[in-house]
Amino acid sequence: MSINKREKILNQLNIFNKNSIAPSLVLVYVLMIILFTLINPRFFSLGNFKGIFATFSIAGIMAVGLSTVVISGNFDMSIGSIFGLSAVIVAKLFNIDGFTVPIPVIILAALLCGLVIGAINGFFVTKVGINSIITTLATLAIFRGISFYFSLENISIPKEAFLILGRYFVFGFLPLPFIYFIVALIAGYIFLRFSRHGRNIYLVGANSSASRLAGINISKTQFLPFIISGLTASMGGIITAAQVGFTNATFGNGYEFRILTICVLGGISLIGGRGTLIGVFVAALIIGSISNGLALIDIPINWRDAFTGIILIAAILIDSFRVSRRERLKLQ
Amino acid sequence: MKSSPESMPLKKPKRISDVLILSIFLVLLLILFSFTSENFFTYANISTMLNNMVIAGAIAIAITPLIVARGLDISFGASLALSTVVMAILYNKGYNFFLIILIGILIPTLVGLINGLLAEAFNLIPLILTLGTTSILIALGQVMTNGNSIPMLTDPLFYFATKSFLKIPFPIMVLAITIIVYWFLLTYTKLGKKIYIIGSNPLTARLSGIKVKQIKVLLYVLLGIVTGVSAIIMVAISGIGYIYHGNNLTLPVLSAVFLGGMSLAGGEGSIWKTLLGTLIITVIFTGLSLANIQFYFIQIFQGLALLIIVAFYEVRKKRAEIK
Repeated sequence: MSINKREKILNQLNIFNKNSIAPSLVLVYVLMIILFTLINPRFFSLGNFKGIFATFSIAGIMAVGLSTVVISGNFDMSIGSIFGLSAVIVAKLFNIDGFTVPIPVIILAALLCGLVIGAINGFFVTKVGINSIITTLATLAIFRGISFYFSLENISIPKEAFLILGRYFVFGFLPLPFIYFIVALIAGYIFLRFSRHGRNIYLVGANSSASRLAGINISKTQFLPFIISGLTASMGGIITAAQVGFTNATFGNGYEFRILTICVLGGISLIGGRGTLIGVFVAALIIGSISNGLALIDIPINWRDAFTGIILIAAILIDSFRVSRRERLKLQ
Repeated sequence: MKSSPESMPLKKPKRISDVLILSIFLVLLLILFSFTSENFFTYANISTMLNNMVIAGAIAIAITPLIVARGLDISFGASLALSTVVMAILYNKGYNFFLIILIGILIPTLVGLINGLLAEAFNLIPLILTLGTTSILIALGQVMTNGNSIPMLTDPLFYFATKSFLKIPFPIMVLAITIIVYWFLLTYTKLGKKIYIIGSNPLTARLSGIKVKQIKVLLYVLLGIVTGVSAIIMVAISGIGYIYHGNNLTLPVLSAVFLGGMSLAGGEGSIWKTLLGTLIITVIFTGLSLANIQFYFIQIFQGLALLIIVAFYEVRKKRAEIK
């Protein structure tokens, strides 16, 4: 069989998209569920899945934002700090002496924080021209420091009306955060796939010189993803604050690593310009279920990050192979 | 001879040297801090500052050629920390001291080798790869210690950390040796020139017969060796093996390197600029600590310094291009 014929058949097997990684991920996830359930049958219970869905949704929302940045060809390492700062802002605003701030205002304030930091990141990357890694490493440090400035110990949030936003289960089993995640996922998917700006993001990420020749404004295109990433990071912080009931300035430390793993595993190529949110959804499920599953089979929590690290390396190996396969196909 | 536009030689646009700018910034900082605390220019403080700088400085210098060649490794903090943990554990089990020292250097070297091989053999993005290895290394250390610190107090290391030779503390000598070795390597050897060529244009480098991948792997390994030596210095100075030793190392080292004007695109960079960057970061840290500023302000300050200086570099580059 010639290479062309083999590729055609492989493409026909892909349901969602040419070369989509989502079907393989679904297979991996199903195998994972089977494996975990075999070792500890309690894994496959409604209560357990409620827990998984409540927590993986947060990572999922942040992954939607980060995916946008990576597709456009950049990185955002500051999402952990934005997450933490938003959570701290929420807690602080609930604890002002003698003054009750309305909940919507608090949420808006925290979202504004994410938007502003995202804009700062976007400004330095697109207008000043600093590499996104350096920029977001700097903002990571600055805003983590600011979080500590605001609070050095745990701050609790006693407002029940707010906590319900992260803890309520629709119909008894669907966590509200999961609903938020689905909304964000659909919004993000429609934006990336069907809007002109969204498609420009793919084009700029794939080949910036070609897109510049085609008349696309690269600065403008690469600016918005940082804002989206900042917003989703603050959403994550707000929802986590509601779920856990308190905040600490260390919240979100190291999250960028886990979220990045979800993106790469979900098929968002690190060289930019490729990947869809469907893969990100399944990847978030996989990563989210792993710590839960590992806990149920009595593996200490320290190993969870090691597993995530191994998955990240495996994911970028796979990504690298897919990139070289695309390169080889282009040469034919 | 008439000077017409055609016969006049092209002049390179005048540019204020990077080293000069960094030195001026450093001097300004020193002046600022001499006002905020009377204790700043004392022998005790300066030698503490230089001691603090040794580990970050050595690693920053070793990572410079790697970044010039378009590599990157952010796992040095975790690698160093894991090495200190293993050394401390083995020491408390009574192993031979020199064997422990050897293992302490070997572990980060091995990590460097693995990072380099994976990155070069499979063309992986070094930032993400080393992000992954960092998490694995930290997890290993957490499993070994549960996050606790393991004491390792030895006479030879204590002697090394506290005594001096000709008024120069031993750790500083290690830093000086690292500087001299790397400076010589980058300036006078063929390997040094190859590193810069690889950074500016990897394709051309490969086509002209330079063994790009092998050289890059070597640079990862060399960084590993320097990290290993730094791990020993860390144990000597702190007396403990601790998996979170690297937490306050990664950001300052990277800041120092980029403050020194190094571009992630490769091809540019010098030991002296990196050294100045390290000095600036250390001075900020020491100066602010001495003035009793809280740790988070120091972090904010360092992040801001990085952002502002790199922004300055970029703006200056753009202006040079317009002319």
